[in-house]
Amino acid sequence: MSSSPTELLVDLTMPQMGVSVVEGTVAEWKKQPGDRVERDEIICSISTDKIDTDVESPASGRVAELLVEVGATVEVGVVLARIATDDATQNGSASSAGTSEAAVALDAPGDAGELQGDTAVEHDETATERTSVPPARGPRRYSPVVMRIAGEHGVDLDQIEGSGRDGRVRKPDVVAFLERERQGGSQAAEEPPMHIESPYKPEPITPKPPKPASAPVAAPAPVVAGPLGPTTSGPLSRMRQAIGGRMLESLQTTATCTTIVECDMSAVEAARASSGFTYLPYVARATVEALREFPPLNATLEGETFTQYESVHLGIAVSLGQGGLIVPVIHHAQDLSVEGLAGRIKGLARKARDNGLTPDDVRGGTFTITNPGAFGAVLATPVINQPQVAILDCEAVVKRPVVLTDERTGADSIAIRPMTYFCMSWDHRALDGALAAQFLTALRGRLEATT
Amino acid sequence: MPTMTYLQAISDAMREEMRADERVFVMGEDIGAFGGAFKVTDGFLDEFGASRVMDTPLAESGIVGTAVGAAVEGMRPICEMQFSDFISCGFDQLVNVAAKMYYRQGLSVNITVRLPSGGGFSGGPYHSQNPEAWFMHSPGLKVVAPSTAQDAKGLLIKAIRDPNPVVFMEHKHLYRRVKGDVTAGSYETPFTARLAREGEDLTVIAYGAMVHAAMEATEDLGGASVEVLDLRSLVPLDEEAILASVRKTSKVVIVDEANMTCAAGAQVAALIAERGWEDLDGPVVRVATPDVPIPFSPTLEQAVLPQVDDIKEACRELLAY
Amino acid sequence: MTLYRQGKVPGSFYDGYGQEAVSAGATWAMAPEDRLCILHRDLAAHLIRGVPPARIFAQYMGRDGGVTGGREGNVHFGDRNLGCVGMVSMLPDMMLVAAGMAMAFKLRDETRCAITWFGDGSTSRGDFHEAMNWAGVQKLPVIFVLENNQYAYSTPTAGQFAVNPVERAAAYGFPGVTVDGNDAEAMFEATRVARERAIAGDGPTLLEAVTMRMHGHAAHDDMKYVPSELVEKWRAKDPIDLQVRRAETLDVDVEALRAEIKAEIEAGVEEALAMAMPDGDTATDRLFADEEALLSDGNGPWSGFAHASGEGA
Repeated sequence: MSSSPTELLVDLTMPQMGVSVVEGTVAEWKKQPGDRVERDEIICSISTDKIDTDVESPASGRVAELLVEVGATVEVGVVLARIATDDATQNGSASSAGTSEAAVALDAPGDAGELQGDTAVEHDETATERTSVPPARGPRRYSPVVMRIAGEHGVDLDQIEGSGRDGRVRKPDVVAFLERERQGGSQAAEEPPMHIESPYKPEPITPKPPKPASAPVAAPAPVVAGPLGPTTSGPLSRMRQAIGGRMLESLQTTATCTTIVECDMSAVEAARASSGFTYLPYVARATVEALREFPPLNATLEGETFTQYESVHLGIAVSLGQGGLIVPVIHHAQDLSVEGLAGRIKGLARKARDNGLTPDDVRGGTFTITNPGAFGAVLATPVINQPQVAILDCEAVVKRPVVLTDERTGADSIAIRPMTYFCMSWDHRALDGALAAQFLTALRGRLEATT
Repeated sequence: MPTMTYLQAISDAMREEMRADERVFVMGEDIGAFGGAFKVTDGFLDEFGASRVMDTPLAESGIVGTAVGAAVEGMRPICEMQFSDFISCGFDQLVNVAAKMYYRQGLSVNITVRLPSGGGFSGGPYHSQNPEAWFMHSPGLKVVAPSTAQDAKGLLIKAIRDPNPVVFMEHKHLYRRVKGDVTAGSYETPFTARLAREGEDLTVIAYGAMVHAAMEATEDLGGASVEVLDLRSLVPLDEEAILASVRKTSKVVIVDEANMTCAAGAQVAALIAERGWEDLDGPVVRVATPDVPIPFSPTLEQAVLPQVDDIKEACRELLAY
Repeated sequence: MTLYRQGKVPGSFYDGYGQEAVSAGATWAMAPEDRLCILHRDLAAHLIRGVPPARIFAQYMGRDGGVTGGREGNVHFGDRNLGCVGMVSMLPDMMLVAAGMAMAFKLRDETRCAITWFGDGSTSRGDFHEAMNWAGVQKLPVIFVLENNQYAYSTPTAGQFAVNPVERAAAYGFPGVTVDGNDAEAMFEATRVARERAIAGDGPTLLEAVTMRMHGHAAHDDMKYVPSELVEKWRAKDPIDLQVRRAETLDVDVEALRAEIKAEIEAGVEEALAMAMPDGDTATDRLFADEEALLSDGNGPWSGFAHASGEGA
């Protein structure tokens, strides 16, 4: 098809929904040739063996042709359709499916624990949307040292403009980025808050055009007047359903018990004063160490098979506001210091909120920490994130009067300490209360001894 | 501190050791009355006498073999090969007798074999070789290659004292072209690498004459800060220094005057690929002489030996990567 | 050989069967401070210098307690503490090393001598010429023993040289002497004389020890290429049989001696079999010396040195 001087043909290609996914099936075309489509508007839905998802148009314009029919399975990267754009300055095919990451929902189907929406290996497209960086031609590749530094500091490489050949991100680019971060940024906003003094942060506002809701998504239901007064009713969102399903399954299959210890956080407070981190990285580090002491808690139970892990792959629950909850995993968390964990948590949370997580980011966890403490509650009975055998909930830190016994004299006195409760739900099929309590006591001991 | 040429530094090293230790003697072709093909032993005969400045028959195998015999009986012979190229005539004695003796028999062989190596002056195929790789590949031999006068003296003194067979690569093109301050008296230079220049953006690794080419090439490269690492010792190879430099700059160009395949630089590249992987921000680049005998005619010779511009070009490319 | 057939000896197995006098006779003439480069059919030399049988068996079996600790095999060994330098497989490389040791003696004005053995085949290589020439031109105190056992593996001397090396010694400036290699006493005498020459400063001597290799080149060689008449002829001249006959005329109880030797051998075998194999983790150790490790003196059992050098009883 020829293009006019102001028109350009943009390819829509089959996205890669996970590292090991190699193909996808077109489930439904939402647009037909000739239809007008806006950039980021859903143009079709696809199905893969990992996930079903909607795919957004990479460009605004008119659908020129559909190349793959419904029900056909093609390899990742194959062109599905072409759009004749009305903006000659639009980017080439490389940015197809790109911004889908950002836009896609929360209303995409799939497990709550799995990736949501389009992940893409097409990191560069994300960059296109968010910054003024010209995209690299072709998929972005990073040199070993760039990846190492990025990993150590939890840097999202898509954020970085490359000054090397063809826009390659080089070591000085990452180093400079870190330097700017260190000097600039109140990045606190993106950290999952924990301390009661930290204000609750609403989810970040992304400048997206409003999407038309797709069928499975709960549309704003009409208000109905009835004998019980006005009601608003509608089906649960896909996401809600998915989360709900997993929660129910967990409660139905595991023998869930919850054990609670209280912990004096003053030592952590003191350390925080100089480091500037939130509580969470300290809790994470102490948890990792305690898990190494109590390996049966760093484990999964699938059917009858109980697997203990030497490495700790720590899941950190991240709230996505009304959209729900997702648990990205810090793999080999035992290799990271408090500082390393802080950086990684920050990075993952940001990625989660920007829908930048890949299936590998949410897979393979051996233990989960959830921390809704910012909301003020002091105790909770969390649901185990299967197939793991335990989950640790960190509630609010509240100043309380506590009794302290002097070691030398035995005299009691009252002091004011920042106290919190650690509530751990665990699977009684895999372990007993004694172990759970010992673990929690060890955790508490480590936190109270923080330097 | 006296200033002397690379050649004078080598003479000085031998003179110091021969004065201090009667076990040390030098043997080679035309080194006595003639003072050596390159005059390194000029004046030695008068000072030390014919027993200690031995003119040998034209027999490289004989030179190395008898040196082994003398060494196991407690002497410290320094064998001068007239040109490094001729060591191939004594290869068997060096690689099979000298190198393996201690490992096999527990008998130490303190010989130092000096090889005037390298090209750049129309020496042709048999007077321009850099055969160090043959000896890096022979377990039991140490191999050193100074680039400065100061290092030439210190490395040679250390080599003479080392109870193992040491192959000393003296680059003959540097004999009179390189001059520097050289510490008077006796001193040892350790068998380690030396930072010829510190830098941040890229590292050039070289040894021998190529260190000078590397320094010149990277003096002024559009403001880039280039580190130059002078290996100095090939066996033992200073792995820590190499990896530390890669960790710092993340980009590395390795220069070999020797033929590319399996040159010393190939071993350095393999080391970096294996243990410096996490620190690399670009491919490991090599600049080396192609695998051909060194030709005689200047235009041909210059076309094959790495020139300053070749090193510059490689650095520029990698800096921009 | 028995141990070899029992599978206890790794690698190849060489022996000097039928040539024992060449090394036994010659080594007997060497002084403790002399130095020896011993070849693969010259086991007697090691024994005379003082290496116990147990260590030799251990060496062959690659045990940790062997002379080279398992680093070298069969007869590629030399106990430096007894003044012996272990051979390399490239022949006759050790001729140059012996010449070098002799060179050191001369440079230091010492009354000492070096000796080395090499075969008829090895004289075809360049190092033979370089060593002969070097020793001749520098008049070094070295004894070159050419062990002419008629065959270099399967190559008879007729295929090895046009002119017998012993005749070529003159061309290098020193005498070449042919000796009955199967007569230990003749070997001793020839070596003693050569040694006198050497320590007197008159330079090297080439001794051609004429003998016959009665076994194959190694255990894996059945030597079918050797005409059986030749083997028979030489069997009649067996060097040990000759010494036995001589001993008998001196009323030595040969049977008792044999029993004594056998017992010593058996004991050595037992001791060696009890030694451990070397630890694989040590394979990369001791490539380089941290300090000098030189040669020391070995046994020089002949009591006649003082007389021979005229330094009084």
